[in-house]
Amino acid sequence: MRAAIWGWLLTVFLVYFLYVGASTLWFNYVSPFILGMPPIVFWFTLVPIVAPGILALLYWYDRRVNPQWEKEGSWDV
Amino acid sequence: MSESFVVLMAAFLAVAAITVGGIVYGASQSRDLEGWLIHSRLMGPILVWFLLGTEIYTAFTFQGLAGFAYANGSAVFYNVALNDVAYAIGFLVLPAIWLIGKRFGYVTQADFLAGRYRSRNLGIFVALTSALIMIAYIDLNIEGLGAVVQVIGKGAFNQTGADLVGFLVLALAVLLGGIRGNAWQAVVKDILMFIAVVVIFFTIPLHYFGSFGNFYHNLATHASQYLVLPGKAKKLGPLWLITTVALTAMGQWMWPQWFGVAYTAKSPKTLKLEAIFMPFYQLVKVMMITVGFAAVLIFAGTKVNGNNVVMLLALRTFPEWFLILFTIAAVFAAIVPAGPIIMTSASLLAKNVYAALVPNTSERTVYRLTKWLVFPLTLLAFGLAAAAPALIVVVLLVAYDFISQLFPAVVIGGLFWRRATKEGATAGILVGWVVSGALLLTKHDPFLGVNAGLWGLLANVLVFVAVSLATPAVDRGYLEDFLRTAFPQPKAMAVAAEQQVEG
Repeated sequence: MRAAIWGWLLTVFLVYFLYVGASTLWFNYVSPFILGMPPIVFWFTLVPIVAPGILALLYWYDRRVNPQWEKEGSWDV
Repeated sequence: MSESFVVLMAAFLAVAAITVGGIVYGASQSRDLEGWLIHSRLMGPILVWFLLGTEIYTAFTFQGLAGFAYANGSAVFYNVALNDVAYAIGFLVLPAIWLIGKRFGYVTQADFLAGRYRSRNLGIFVALTSALIMIAYIDLNIEGLGAVVQVIGKGAFNQTGADLVGFLVLALAVLLGGIRGNAWQAVVKDILMFIAVVVIFFTIPLHYFGSFGNFYHNLATHASQYLVLPGKAKKLGPLWLITTVALTAMGQWMWPQWFGVAYTAKSPKTLKLEAIFMPFYQLVKVMMITVGFAAVLIFAGTKVNGNNVVMLLALRTFPEWFLILFTIAAVFAAIVPAGPIIMTSASLLAKNVYAALVPNTSERTVYRLTKWLVFPLTLLAFGLAAAAPALIVVVLLVAYDFISQLFPAVVIGGLFWRRATKEGATAGILVGWVVSGALLLTKHDPFLGVNAGLWGLLANVLVFVAVSLATPAVDRGYLEDFLRTAFPQPKAMAVAAEQQVEG
């Protein structure tokens, strides 16, 4: 369970950083545009598409290190 | 017959139709408490996706975000980040809460806290206060409905009059619609809202600017301050974004209606899959924010109430037949999610406050009381909307400052920190509210660039830890069992841990 919790914490911080760290560090300007969009609009359009992939990786990792958590009523595994 | 009258009547008739549909659907459903509060823990991933989508993406998304983008620029992106970080937090927290809820029969957040801290009084305190904080959520949906009535009514109503119509429509829909909001209504609302959002997102830039490229070029040339932080709103800079996202992401699952969604799922796996797929919904928010940016250019030189910009653009742009569909979507976006929110608030007061204080209260009495509370709660929300009209997003941001103060008690103490006590949880929450409230009332939000609610949360955590360490801990054996339920271990490890506790 410890590995699953660490994996989860890391994922939360990664998603948080992508949104607030990366956006303010590297996308907080008006031009040049990226793919035809202002940088901040581009970034906040991209991250919601990337986030499911990051969470899917966490899901895959969680199943590997923590399989008993998947089962319904798993307190009695 | 005027166009305004036709559009409003068509929208309200559609609301009536879907309400009747809800009654017919509801008649075939289970009538016990677990049935209507948490759908008997039977929802699969698709229905939970729609249910969460309906309760999270409300009039706030449909009208509020565009209004905040129009008034404050890029600071609005905090809201795209907030939900996604919250989904990542929910990946682990919600399944743990589900396992505990199923094992101990909990159906509300107050049940969970009363169980974890072995304190009926803490359950009553949290139920009462969070039900009151939820009034802000009802308020913003009334303001959303008010904006629809005001704009489509073309000046026939002032803001309070429009909010009054919104209040009456909402209260009647929830009262007549019965005691349950159901996921099938959510599906209809979400489909309508998707259509309306996609159409307005593509139509506005193409109709007024010829292309998206031209629109963004105009925005960068004539309103560049809307595209950076801090920009249009000087007080809302990068530090505000960083701290506001942290606070609100921790606060999202503290809303009782969303905490309750954890109990509706049929398995922990359902909740993990939600965490993966819910971020796609955020694209709807980006679309509405884009519409808000377009409004900056379209309404340049005109003073417009931010809450009204989406409906004003729809009125100005769409033919009557589509305006009807758009108005129906806007009304549903407020009413369908507000129903379960009002019901959750009412049921917290009936079940976790009244029934906890009056022994031997029957389930039938709880039902009746819940229904009776719908009207006064909605009236209180209308009173708030009339007394303190504000941008929809601002109402929600203030509410988050308060609801987020439950995070240490629910997540840190509730799932991880064994030494947390009921005294620590109560003191922390109270201090968090006092600090946040003082900063808000003295107009110090943000304070030193940091969201006022986060200052409250820092004070909350300090007091929570200090008071917990100074007061007697919850019985160790009980707590081991409680927390082992949340994080089950493989059988061999579980047996060893049990022996250790017994030893």
